[in-house]
Amino acid sequence: MSSETPFQIDIPDEKFTILRAKLELASFPNELEDAGWKYGAPLADIKRLTERWKIGYDWRKYEKEINEQLPMFTRDIDVDGFGALNIHYVHKKSETVDAIPLLFCHGWPGSFLEVGKILPFLTSSAPEHPSFHVVALSLPGFGFSEAPHKQGFAIDQYAEVAHKLMLALGYNEYVTHGGDWGSLITRRMASVYGGRHLKAWHTNSPLAKPPSWRSPLFFLSFLLTPWSTEEKAGIERTTWFHTKGQGYYNEQSTQPQTLGYSLADSPVGLLAWIYEKLVLWTDNYNWSDDEVLTWISLYWFSRDGPAASLRIYFELRSDCEDLGQSPTIPMGASFFPKELIVLPAAWLRKSHNVVFESHHKTGGHFAATEHPEELVQDIRKMFAKGGPAFAIVPGRTGYA
Amino acid sequence: MPSETPFQINIPDEKLRILRAKLELATFPDELQDIGWRHGAPLADMKRLVERWKNGYDWRKYEKELNQELPMFTRDIDVDGFGALNIHYVHKKSETVDAIPLLFCHGWPGSFIEIRGMLPLLTASSPKHPSFHVVALSLPGFGFSEGAHKPGFGLDQYAEVAHKLMISLGYNEYVTEGGDWGFLVTRRMAAKYGGKHVKAWHTNFPMADPPTWKSPLSFLSYLLTPYSAEEKAGLERTAWYRNKSSGYFVEQSTFPQTLAYGFTDSPVALLGWFYEKLVIWTDDYKWTDDEALTWISIYWFSRAGPGAAHRIYSEVYGDFYNLGRTSYPTIPMGASYFPKELLLLPSAWLRRLNNVVIESHHKSGGHFAAYERPEELTEDVRKMFAKGGPAFAVVPGKSGYA
Repeated sequence: MSSETPFQIDIPDEKFTILRAKLELASFPNELEDAGWKYGAPLADIKRLTERWKIGYDWRKYEKEINEQLPMFTRDIDVDGFGALNIHYVHKKSETVDAIPLLFCHGWPGSFLEVGKILPFLTSSAPEHPSFHVVALSLPGFGFSEAPHKQGFAIDQYAEVAHKLMLALGYNEYVTHGGDWGSLITRRMASVYGGRHLKAWHTNSPLAKPPSWRSPLFFLSFLLTPWSTEEKAGIERTTWFHTKGQGYYNEQSTQPQTLGYSLADSPVGLLAWIYEKLVLWTDNYNWSDDEVLTWISLYWFSRDGPAASLRIYFELRSDCEDLGQSPTIPMGASFFPKELIVLPAAWLRKSHNVVFESHHKTGGHFAATEHPEELVQDIRKMFAKGGPAFAIVPGRTGYA
Repeated sequence: MPSETPFQINIPDEKLRILRAKLELATFPDELQDIGWRHGAPLADMKRLVERWKNGYDWRKYEKELNQELPMFTRDIDVDGFGALNIHYVHKKSETVDAIPLLFCHGWPGSFIEIRGMLPLLTASSPKHPSFHVVALSLPGFGFSEGAHKPGFGLDQYAEVAHKLMISLGYNEYVTEGGDWGFLVTRRMAAKYGGKHVKAWHTNFPMADPPTWKSPLSFLSYLLTPYSAEEKAGLERTAWYRNKSSGYFVEQSTFPQTLAYGFTDSPVALLGWFYEKLVIWTDDYKWTDDEALTWISIYWFSRAGPGAAHRIYSEVYGDFYNLGRTSYPTIPMGASYFPKELLLLPSAWLRRLNNVVIESHHKSGGHFAAYERPEELTEDVRKMFAKGGPAFAVVPGKSGYA
């Protein structure tokens, strides 16, 4: 019995009724004078977005687009100690038969939607660049994947789900691209399944040891070292994130359910919580209101609700703070200046088998959304003929 | 034109209607198996409280009780650079004419309601103990006090409001009692107005400041030092608070507006965020559902809205870690230590940096000491100012006795 089912998003009307009813009752706080973005999203933005969500935003239109553009499926994946979870994923094969199997892994507050812009490029066939068969899962608890029901679903379990999905699709050997949680999870996959199954991994959120980077004194010493302009900017950005940007992380990694009550009951609360990140974590990306609302609607309409997506922070907190052993398989890293943690590339090279690097002049945390062409370029270069990871998956060079 | 007005809480029906409508639409997350309190308040508690709030909880009954129990007023207080803010406060005089004027200052997620247990005790007249005229304000942005309208309303401003309130009530010289933000505000008052106006200050939230208490490695070293059992337990509690229970603090001090949207739109959001604190910050206090709902309704129905109060975190944040060195008050200080307080540092640290004239160490009680242990905290305050006590007659002419 096949446990793979084609999947189309089809949110029940009932859910719309509830959302609309809540939006009709929306109440807003006041705002300090000239607050701008200092304390969170400006009131005018939240009011405008709420108004649009209530009247004008057409989820069915975007639901249809997603269904048409992203071939989606669901499949039961058994996780040791947790039973089977029904996993939602995008799966698109290239016309190039020997395309490289690539797993795309999102994070928070991202989703499988982030593969949307790069999917046609990665799967396209041409003699000038390698092609990929792309799998983009919704992590358990995100999008339309089932969430775990008990405690202890930590990094090894997320890695296990993603890995077993690739195996279930017949991709015994594959490569990965990940950002945010996707970076940490694919990094663990690289350690646990690297060599035998996972052949190389690429990320736009490279993290490097030592763990003591979290110490403010450490940062002070960097400012005294002759770092490059790029590195200094990166350290400033990282310092900002460390001193000003940790609220969501602290709450989500200690009391996720407390926050979960808010996100599950209030679409405005959810909008504010996520929209703040969409703006502050990107590099002047021109979000359209509908694009924002689609990202947020996905959380609102997600299979197990927005609260479930927070639990990854609680369960993986120690994995975040102690990176453990580095994988040894080849790694590619794309550096974007408005990523959240931007560390000197030298640190990464010291502790990882970095075979490919690129340093971009613009772009932030959601690279696949903000700079899809550049990201695709990077991945292609890594696996191209003459590239550092060419033919790393035996028999699947990515070329005809 | 007088700017003091007797005040009675009278929430408009419309607000009650909106609350009910939102509660009718309440939607809940799921919950992990056997999770208990590990991730926040349990789902069963939340559902039960929401159901009660929607059906059965009678705000008008508790509104009436508060109006009857607590003599309340409002008054415009002018704040340099911010204009006049209309401040809500409780004011009850003792029958003892020369009672000691005492300002009680609450914190977050507390409110003026925290005085209700101590009020009759502090104002009671007896030859056996001192009496107090009590003023308990709602900090700007809390309860029924107007909130600041522009950024920059920091600790100096909160202190200014409280001090000017006392002056405007004719209390040129007075003492204070504070916990949580009330500690920080009264400490700033003691530093700025101490000696001339504030004569002594007492707290149930003694914070001692070496700045390095923020470093987890420091805590590890303290655990290796031969501290008493009580001190070790206190340090562990402090480490727990810092590592497991400070998420709210970091978010509120960096992105308060983000939270404000959820709190203002959803009573369930507010309930989830606040109820968690009411339970885990107290020492096994047996909250009734109605009691918890009243605390939270005060925030829901507050004058500035539920999104305003916690701006104090972001406005004071920059000041917070700087307020140690230059503003240690020299006036007499009293400290009460309760074992389930959040920050429990060895009392020697406090004595090193402050003029501590009296201390008490309790075997039970938590963060909301005035509410959880009104008799014990009143005892502590009385002892400080009693005949023969270390701060007796510290306010000239107002010994607290007939």
